[in-house]
Amino acid sequence: MAMLKTILGNLLRPSRTRAPADMPVVPPTYRGALTHDAGRCTACGTCAFVCAPKAIHFTQEPGISVSWHFFIGQCSFCGLCEQNCPTRAIHLRADIPGSMNSAGGDGLRLESVIHLQPCTRCGAAHVPLPAATMDALWAAGADEAERGYCPDCRRWAASARLRTAFTPDGAVAEGGRHDR
Amino acid sequence: MPYSFPLGPYHPALEEPFKVKVQCKGEVIESATVEVGFSYRGIELLAQKRNWVEVITLIERVCGICSNTHAMTFCMAAETIAGIELPKRAAHIRTIIAELERLHSHLLWAGVGAEDIGFHSLFMEVFTLRERVMDTLEAISGNRVNYGMNCIGGVLRDIPDPAAHLPALDALAKGLGEVVIPTFTQNPTALARTRGVGRLTKEQAVEWAVVGPVARASGLDIDVRKDQPYLSYADLDFESVVRPEGDVLARVVVRALEMMESVRLIREALLSLPPGPLRATQGLPEIPVGEATIRTEAPRGEAFYYVASEGGASPARVKIRTPSFVNIPAIEPMVMGQPLADLSIIQASVDPCISCTDR
Repeated sequence: MAMLKTILGNLLRPSRTRAPADMPVVPPTYRGALTHDAGRCTACGTCAFVCAPKAIHFTQEPGISVSWHFFIGQCSFCGLCEQNCPTRAIHLRADIPGSMNSAGGDGLRLESVIHLQPCTRCGAAHVPLPAATMDALWAAGADEAERGYCPDCRRWAASARLRTAFTPDGAVAEGGRHDR
Repeated sequence: MPYSFPLGPYHPALEEPFKVKVQCKGEVIESATVEVGFSYRGIELLAQKRNWVEVITLIERVCGICSNTHAMTFCMAAETIAGIELPKRAAHIRTIIAELERLHSHLLWAGVGAEDIGFHSLFMEVFTLRERVMDTLEAISGNRVNYGMNCIGGVLRDIPDPAAHLPALDALAKGLGEVVIPTFTQNPTALARTRGVGRLTKEQAVEWAVVGPVARASGLDIDVRKDQPYLSYADLDFESVVRPEGDVLARVVVRALEMMESVRLIREALLSLPPGPLRATQGLPEIPVGEATIRTEAPRGEAFYYVASEGGASPARVKIRTPSFVNIPAIEPMVMGQPLADLSIIQASVDPCISCTDR
């Protein structure tokens, strides 16, 4: 009799197996497909430093470009590259990793090329700062000409500004170019 | 005529390789030898070759079930060396994740245990409940297994809306209280396979130095959460569960009641989540010269970490002693004089985690 009750109860209840449409919501924190924004990347190497399985590495063509490489076969989706990226160039989206742009043609690799720019002062090729960082730094009304400077020239310009502030006549000897 | 019977290294119920070689006379086991080391990965040595950030990701992969415990204990050791004080909110979030992990680990065990005694419908019930825990973990951390919540000095992810996870806890408490616990403790089929089986007396438990639910099921009241409270356990009034019988049923009951306690702890921690920062430090960690030993209560018992730093980019030594490392040898006294058919459930009852043991 008890068995009959159970069977009847089971027949009247809806199915407990989830239908394909009734999937749990993918949380916004889900660590899925990885994207890299070359416009934000400064090639600082933090992502490669924190990547335990060494899925990320950099190569460079001196004077022309720096390339960021990612191999999904080694990725453990820990998300530390995203967490530690100082310019938020890396993002793990909440969707399943799909096929990627791949030089090898296997769809498992992601490459992104960061083109070097010549410094407008000394001509040295350098990785430009991300546009957002530049806007934030130059919002205070710094010299627009310094936007195209390489890090060394930016340092030189900052030190020149400091010297001008200390010397009353404001005369700064030209020619303080760093060694290249 | 006496014969020897090798069970494993590929276990019929568990996913991981370990071997129990038993000497039988008829149907009765006379002696047993346990062999481990089939999935050795050399994580302790690898940890000395990785920097402090990478080691957390590496250590999290010591175990596939209690992954968070390992990363958390390692971070606690590094924080002790560097003298970093954990923010209150981070301690609460770590407690919540640790207890959710205990829930999913114990539910996994209850499912595997039910499977081992041939109770498939109970396995289904248990794994339906476990799915709720996994969904909650995924909603908080973004991953079902390796949560990646810990960093040295705090946690990486917040719980922005604690109240959203309460319905899952209610469903869990209901399922545990109305289905899982009554079935394990009252169903004649389950009782016939667990009561009085695989007994480990209190004296044997001390002699074999077992930890965690196995020790507590033999009447030893040891629990790091109570004896040496860490994280938020002192604030949440944790109470340990102890049973004196020492058989498989007692281990089931200890784990079941611990799950109820975990649900209560998670609910209280979610409701009393203090405001504040998630991390005490920013940027990449710098660990000075020093050493630290930390004990935490993993789902299977006491996890012990010794971490030494020489001030460099990598740890100088990471020594890991996992609870299964001491619990697995205790299978030997448990199976003596037991029928061969009970070997499977007895060895499953210590909840052996082989990848932890082999590291």
